[in-house]
Amino acid sequence: MTTPILAVESLSKHFVVRRSLFGKPLAQVAAVNDVSFEIAPGETLAFVGESGCGKSTLGRLVLRLIEPSAGTVRFDGADIGALDAASLRLARRHMQMIFQDPYAALNPRMTVREILSEPLMLHGIVERENQPARVAELMRLVGLKPEQAARYPHEFSGGQRQRIVIARALAVEPKLIVCDEAVSALDVSIRAQILNLLSDLQERLGVAYLFISHDLAVVKHIAQRVAVMYLGSIVEVGEAETLFASPRHPYTQALLSAIPIADPGGAANSFKLEGDVPSALSLPPGCAFHTRCPHVAPVCVEQRPVLSAAAEGHSVACHRWHEIAAPDGAGRAETELSPTLERLIAAFGPRAA
Amino acid sequence: MSSVLEVDELSVSFAGEDGRMTTVVDKVSFKIGTGRTLGIVGESGCGKSVTSLAIMGLLDPASASVSGTVTFEGIDLRRESESRLRDLRGDRMAMIFQEPMTSLNPSHTVGAQIVEAIQRHRALSRKDAEARALEALRQVSIPSPETRFHDYPHRLSGGMRQRVMIAMALSCDPKLVIADEPTTALDVTIQAQILDLLRRLRDDTGAAIMLITHDLGVVAEVCEDVLVMYAGEVVERASVGTLFRAPQHPYTVGLMGAIPRMAERKPRLATIEGSVPNMRALPAGCRFSPRCPFADAQCRTMPPPIREVEAGHTTRCWKAPLESLVA
Repeated sequence: MTTPILAVESLSKHFVVRRSLFGKPLAQVAAVNDVSFEIAPGETLAFVGESGCGKSTLGRLVLRLIEPSAGTVRFDGADIGALDAASLRLARRHMQMIFQDPYAALNPRMTVREILSEPLMLHGIVERENQPARVAELMRLVGLKPEQAARYPHEFSGGQRQRIVIARALAVEPKLIVCDEAVSALDVSIRAQILNLLSDLQERLGVAYLFISHDLAVVKHIAQRVAVMYLGSIVEVGEAETLFASPRHPYTQALLSAIPIADPGGAANSFKLEGDVPSALSLPPGCAFHTRCPHVAPVCVEQRPVLSAAAEGHSVACHRWHEIAAPDGAGRAETELSPTLERLIAAFGPRAA
Repeated sequence: MSSVLEVDELSVSFAGEDGRMTTVVDKVSFKIGTGRTLGIVGESGCGKSVTSLAIMGLLDPASASVSGTVTFEGIDLRRESESRLRDLRGDRMAMIFQEPMTSLNPSHTVGAQIVEAIQRHRALSRKDAEARALEALRQVSIPSPETRFHDYPHRLSGGMRQRVMIAMALSCDPKLVIADEPTTALDVTIQAQILDLLRRLRDDTGAAIMLITHDLGVVAEVCEDVLVMYAGEVVERASVGTLFRAPQHPYTVGLMGAIPRMAERKPRLATIEGSVPNMRALPAGCRFSPRCPFADAQCRTMPPPIREVEAGHTTRCWKAPLESLVA
């Protein structure tokens, strides 16, 4: 295997939610709990999970926007936890982030040209006289017209704004982009445009993505590997194809079975989860999922399961995975579209990237 | 089939800052029968939420101008007085919104809020109303309803709050429930629970449901009929089975191609180029024509009428039936 662009080891983050009068922590939330993974250059690893599973905290930890409680993050070989402020700024040039709300991420008083020139200047990437050409190139790269460079963010639609955010992230030629729910606020047709754009850019520039999303269908589309998180820990990780075709962890199985699929004739969802995610303030002992798991056994209440290999490149944190049958075939899937409909859809093929 | 709700040529316009009127819902017509679920799908700004607010009479007459007729159980709602509408709302017609936290009063217990809703519409004693409220909480499968009854909304999770909203909507046995993106703010496993609940309640109570959503997956899960809206107009209407098997409007086709499918992984998704038109400067002809790969000169100049391609399946497209385009 090639050297990973990102290697995370035993990363944890505890937030203090209540302190005593003298500042002694009284209650803590384990937002991220002993998480380890690697991302290869040019690869997409997606983190899925429901609200509060720690996936966004994880994204911020990776960029060291917040300090971890324990564990290390190595980016391109360097331990970013050990860097001083100046070297961290240099390292950040190669790691960028895209957030859910593009409007909140753009300064409304800056034109697109200013927005895109700022990182170029800050990191001294191109000579001043070459900046306009680079800005135009970036805009073309994300499917915007360079003539629009003098406009302000409010003059663009939501999808176009997300393109500006992506162009800004690309300005510094990053090796890794953390996408935190980057397409979740977009309408279906616009979301498809941005997903295609992200795939194109990866192919052309070899950038790696850490893709955080709650949407399993989007994740299946964009990622080569997928990690499923529940209450701060990875419960299952593997190649997207394998993980979706034969999920081994009961939580992954439940998640997959809960997705509404756009096919009224499709297989009914057979496996439903009862109840809510427990509070992260008081994690259940043993396996965090045991309070909702239909396969719970005494060992699950006593011992915390660790990630272990179920197959090559496929790990699962469950005491009983080998006893639980993997759902047959591809799990929940739509019936095939008619050839006529396929041909009609093909007419909407991408004309411009 | 008797319809619970009949909407005929409903239009809504808003006055802009310069006094110019912008029509955001344009001659929308449909019916919903007893015990049926109609899905209304479309992207942001297509007019789906404004349509539901206009039906309930919840738009401010000072800023919105509404025309057309809305008949609910034989009552012409648009001619009724505001006080009569207030009697109907929350009683025989109920509404569920996306964000349950903003719909619930944070300073009263959930039980008190349901009791208040019941007593507003029914001449019940406090004790009977409380019994009815508990019953409603039980109906929506809230665990230990006796305890939850005395909880404040912030103590409940998002899914539980949405259950409380549904319990409140059901407490007076409505004949029509309008649900506007009821599961959009919820996690996927909780969404599955709520959709299940809506399905079960429709079957148990026979209420008609109008479900507004941007998610075709949700439509496929719970609706029998579906209406697709684009730029203020209904562009297609069909039964759910027909719409997903053989859509007859290019916009619907584009939407279906734009959703990542679980079954197979395509390297690229279909994309509908461009974005929705500005409602103040609509394109001439078909509103979808600037983004439609099949559009020709006729589409760009003449607005297509709504046409029936087969029984119960209508589309606003000159090119329908679309099969002929790829034969």
